[in-house]
Amino acid sequence: MAPEISNLSMFLLIFFVLIPVSLSYIYSLGLSKSIAWSSFRGVVQLFLIGYVLTYLFSLPPLLGISLMLFVMVTVATFHASKKGTGIPYLRPVIFIVIVSVQLLILAMWLGFDMINFQPDQVIPMSGMVIGNSMIAIGLALERMKSEFKEAKGKIVAALALGAKPDQASTILIRKIVKAAMIPNVDGLKTIGLVQLPGMMTGLILGGVEPIEAIRYQIVISLSIFASVSLAAMLVTIIFYRFFFNKNQQMLTLDEK
Amino acid sequence: MVSDKTLIKLQHCSTQILQDISLEIHKGEIVTLIGSSGAGKSSLLMLLNRLNDPDTGSIHYRGKDVKEFGITQLRKSIGMVFQSSSLFDGTVEDNLCYGPSLFGEWEKGMGERLLDNVQLPRDYLKRNVEDLSGGEKQRVALARTLANKPDVLLLDEVTSALDLKNVELIEAFLLGLIPERVHAIVMVTHDVAQAKRLGNRTVFMDEGKIVETGNTAELFENPQTEKLQYFLKE
Repeated sequence: MAPEISNLSMFLLIFFVLIPVSLSYIYSLGLSKSIAWSSFRGVVQLFLIGYVLTYLFSLPPLLGISLMLFVMVTVATFHASKKGTGIPYLRPVIFIVIVSVQLLILAMWLGFDMINFQPDQVIPMSGMVIGNSMIAIGLALERMKSEFKEAKGKIVAALALGAKPDQASTILIRKIVKAAMIPNVDGLKTIGLVQLPGMMTGLILGGVEPIEAIRYQIVISLSIFASVSLAAMLVTIIFYRFFFNKNQQMLTLDEK
Repeated sequence: MVSDKTLIKLQHCSTQILQDISLEIHKGEIVTLIGSSGAGKSSLLMLLNRLNDPDTGSIHYRGKDVKEFGITQLRKSIGMVFQSSSLFDGTVEDNLCYGPSLFGEWEKGMGERLLDNVQLPRDYLKRNVEDLSGGEKQRVALARTLANKPDVLLLDEVTSALDLKNVELIEAFLLGLIPERVHAIVMVTHDVAQAKRLGNRTVFMDEGKIVETGNTAELFENPQTEKLQYFLKE
């Protein structure tokens, strides 16, 4: 069991933050304010979420879990949608995709008795799935916009040869989904070798045997991998259509 | 009333770029579109196979409104080759079979015949398109469009980036396509000499409008408008 972190030792961490702040000042990087503000904001955010989680854990499971998941999915939706400006129905679609993926994963966890329907188990695990899905969706949207711009000539050439939009987009769809999945695939390859994953580290520090901790880590890592792939694939398959009109002509999306 | 000779007829077509375009394309002819960049030549070409639609006006193909055709069938029938070859990643064969495979028409031996047509060695079929020269890429792009056996061929500055040898080769090939294999060719070119060499009829465009049109030899010999006179002097 790790020792309890005292307020004094937390306070002393400020000195660590002062190192990059001074470096930025010495080398005129102009990041001093940003580093100080981000660190302060991060600490406050984490403390607040600590209190919020404590409160949510005290509520009846269904209420606590639903409330927190709703907030998580909403924030993730807003964040991911920033990468897809100009694409119609962006937020509702992303929201539905994340909810569907999360529900599917949750059903699997509960159905196979991997976790209990308790806020202290469902919320942290779901946070990881939702957060990673958010990143994958953002990557997919970003890649989709750039690919459709760069490969416009090829897509128009395919349409001119008689391809329908789904056929003309096939090559791009493959590339986009692959790009969104790569960070996770790479992460899985080196998992545990380069750094111990966060969840496993937490459990070990909390006194759980490493062999027990890896079971949880395997569940969460594979769940994240599945949800990321599914989320990226779904948004790509749904959104590529908006790059074409009903007459199978390619559109240029207006940046709003 | 559309005569038997008329393949494509545009009437008062306007888009954001084009203004009140009326034009007929007849069987057996090569029509060259000339004009400065931004004149609307490529935009006009894209109306013909419905890669774009006019906001107003109508387009008829073989006497029927183009909207009455299935879009994919229309595009198969009115093939288009682009300025940059826009080849797909993969081998020459992947590119050649793309169109016919969409319609379930790809047959054994077709790739070899298409390469013979554009005078490329048969062993090029398995070559990656990345390894081809500019001229070879453009010839593959031409063969890829011809694989669909189009009636009309739309060409958007297909020889603009090529050396003289490749230009001559492609021009000779295009002349050989008319009228049996392809019923009409509409080609955009920035090269006035090429328009003279190939075009039966030439259309001069400026600022989205057709300024002058007529028999190619007559048009260049006796330009009627100041704009065309100025363009030819440049």
